[in-house]
Amino acid sequence: MSIDKEREPDMRLRNTLFVLALALCAMTAGAISAQSDIVIDFYFPSATANDAEGIFQRYADQFQEENPGITINPVFSGSYTDTRNTILTELQGGGAGPDVAVMLSIDLYSFAEEGYIVPAQTFIDAMDDGQAYVDDFFPALMANGMDEMGNVWSIPFQRSTPILYYNADLLAEAGYDSPPTNNAELVEIAQALTTDDRDGLLVPVAGGFPIWMYQSFAIAYGRNIVGDDPTEVYFNTPEAVEAVEFVRSLGTDLGVGPAGGAAWGDTPVAFLAEQAAMIYHTTGNLTRILSGADFEVGVWYLPSGPAGEDGAGYGAPTGGGNLYIFDDGSKSDAELDAIWKWVMFLSSPEIQSDWGATTGYIASNAAAWETEPLASLALEHPQYGVARDQLQHAGKEFSSYATITIQGIINGTLESILTGEAEDAQAAMDAAQAQIDGILADYR
Amino acid sequence: MARDALHRPPRKSLLSLLQPYILVAPTLILVLMFNVAPAFRTINDSLHKPARGLGAAGKPPEFVALGNFQDLFDDEHYMGKRFLRTLRNTIVFALATVGIGVPLGLLTALLLNRPQPLLGVWRFAVFYPSLLPLIGAASIWSFIFSDSIGLANAILKTFGHPGLNWLGDRNLVLLSVIIINIWKQAGYFMIFFLAGLQNIPRDIYESASLDGAGPAQQFAYLTLPLLRRTLLFVAVISFTFAFQTVEQLQALGEGGPADSANLLLYLIFQNISERRNWGYVNAMTIVLIGVVLSFTLSNFLLFERDETDR
Repeated sequence: MSIDKEREPDMRLRNTLFVLALALCAMTAGAISAQSDIVIDFYFPSATANDAEGIFQRYADQFQEENPGITINPVFSGSYTDTRNTILTELQGGGAGPDVAVMLSIDLYSFAEEGYIVPAQTFIDAMDDGQAYVDDFFPALMANGMDEMGNVWSIPFQRSTPILYYNADLLAEAGYDSPPTNNAELVEIAQALTTDDRDGLLVPVAGGFPIWMYQSFAIAYGRNIVGDDPTEVYFNTPEAVEAVEFVRSLGTDLGVGPAGGAAWGDTPVAFLAEQAAMIYHTTGNLTRILSGADFEVGVWYLPSGPAGEDGAGYGAPTGGGNLYIFDDGSKSDAELDAIWKWVMFLSSPEIQSDWGATTGYIASNAAAWETEPLASLALEHPQYGVARDQLQHAGKEFSSYATITIQGIINGTLESILTGEAEDAQAAMDAAQAQIDGILADYR
Repeated sequence: MARDALHRPPRKSLLSLLQPYILVAPTLILVLMFNVAPAFRTINDSLHKPARGLGAAGKPPEFVALGNFQDLFDDEHYMGKRFLRTLRNTIVFALATVGIGVPLGLLTALLLNRPQPLLGVWRFAVFYPSLLPLIGAASIWSFIFSDSIGLANAILKTFGHPGLNWLGDRNLVLLSVIIINIWKQAGYFMIFFLAGLQNIPRDIYESASLDGAGPAQQFAYLTLPLLRRTLLFVAVISFTFAFQTVEQLQALGEGGPADSANLLLYLIFQNISERRNWGYVNAMTIVLIGVVLSFTLSNFLLFERDETDR
């Protein structure tokens, strides 16, 4: 009896193991049977409040119907930052990571440096009409996806750019029939519309990410802080200094907005509540603002700076996410072929038109604007076309080697100037430039 | 002989000899894998600088001894500038949340430890912030503190004040984060104090008042000494929490402007993704653990010594 009792747990253990083994066999069999399909893991972030998961599932279903034998596995991966960190953590830990991912267009050098991504150029070169495919994208949207040699690495997908939103009713009340087209007019109208309860102009440079909005001013003052060479940054040029001094003066001497700038998320809310007459914000919010406003919303190019009396001083950086292809050299031709098909599908005029109309991102190729549903929408709301047309003046978004670190230095410096901590903008920017050059020296 | 045979322990099989080790193994392996090994790796990585520049991905890191720590304490260095500012913020933040949050928790516990109408409602009202998910609570506060549309400024404006830029003014933003933290934690601390207070027998107070001790004396000479254990415990967890703050910053401007409200753990998180900063990230982690560990240890050592003295 006692022996039997002692053995009982053993038997139970053996039984459990047996069941586990069976389950394992079943799972392996399942995995093998599913392997006949090529599965593409597709990671995407969401920077908008829309139902991105639902939309991507719809695209995946449509793609799978047209391409039997390929399965798309869409994975929602949080914010842009979450997505980058998730992918880096997976790959650095030896994991598989995604096959295709939407990441910020400025993430290029971080991932190329690590050897995780492959250039789209290889696939484009293998196409019959590769050049035509590339030429259909708006050139400004290609700038961040290319290296200094002109090789295309990533394909524009959900792109945006800052534009000027204005409350046309308030402007009309004050006697202005058209929006400001240069900085002098901008200040004049903003001052005329500033009251105790209302800001004349909100530029969202507070809240962690001033560099993007600031770049609009740097470009309008005549020199972007970044060029084609990812080892060069131009942060202490006279134009860069004047640009930040102008932004600072909006909240101090000119008194048209809060000192230190407005916070990113508050800005559209204040605009919709008519507590701000004009705002700088992303085109990514166009749909939300148009549908949420009780007044006539005007949209125009960001006003031009002193660089161009002839209109050449317009300028805004581009922003948003591109499609990246991941391969460490282990993927088969069939897999790579399927991956490229998915990228082509997502960047096709048909999907770009749908995605642009649903989200407000700028559809990235010209043909998408002649495709439904975007074609009708742009006709109905000409505001959508403004962002597209501003692209002819748009510049490259900040991106370099060690982008994250250098962006951190620039953001911190801009914030300390804008909040008045660093009174001497030139000195602060010289110090930052020295730190940046020290980092970039590793890459020159 | 016969007695010897009787007393000889039964021969153990190999399995039964190994049994304790087998039983401990799962825990031991997990602790080694997830606690000990990462700790050693962190120490090791903090003494190295990763390879930088083009084609760095496959190259081994370079041994720099305490070089990373030197950079961290160099105000001219890009990481040192951020680290020193953030370290200072973290210390201010910890002292403020401990120095205000803990007494506030004690005060509410004292107020809510006496019978009164709606006692349950009051206790719940004070405790309820600690039930909220931190990121959600911080999002609510980001609305309250919003410059143009926020509740805080709406209230200030009814009193004729033009309003404050709570999250944009570099002199206010750390204060805003401290306020949220205290609001969130005071109720949680209250629960510990309430439990402590209810363990103090009533009759001590009765005899004290018979001896003519007023409420202030009773508090200073009875309540406080008898709550010492709780007080120390709450102070330690409050201090430790302060060093673990991340969520509020994520929702409230990411530690900016210019790191004026940044805290150590969040700075570490912000710099994890770029290879070149891994040495710094590990060095900062060691500083963080060092501060928390030495505070906690010294508290417990002081406490233990006092206990044995008694």
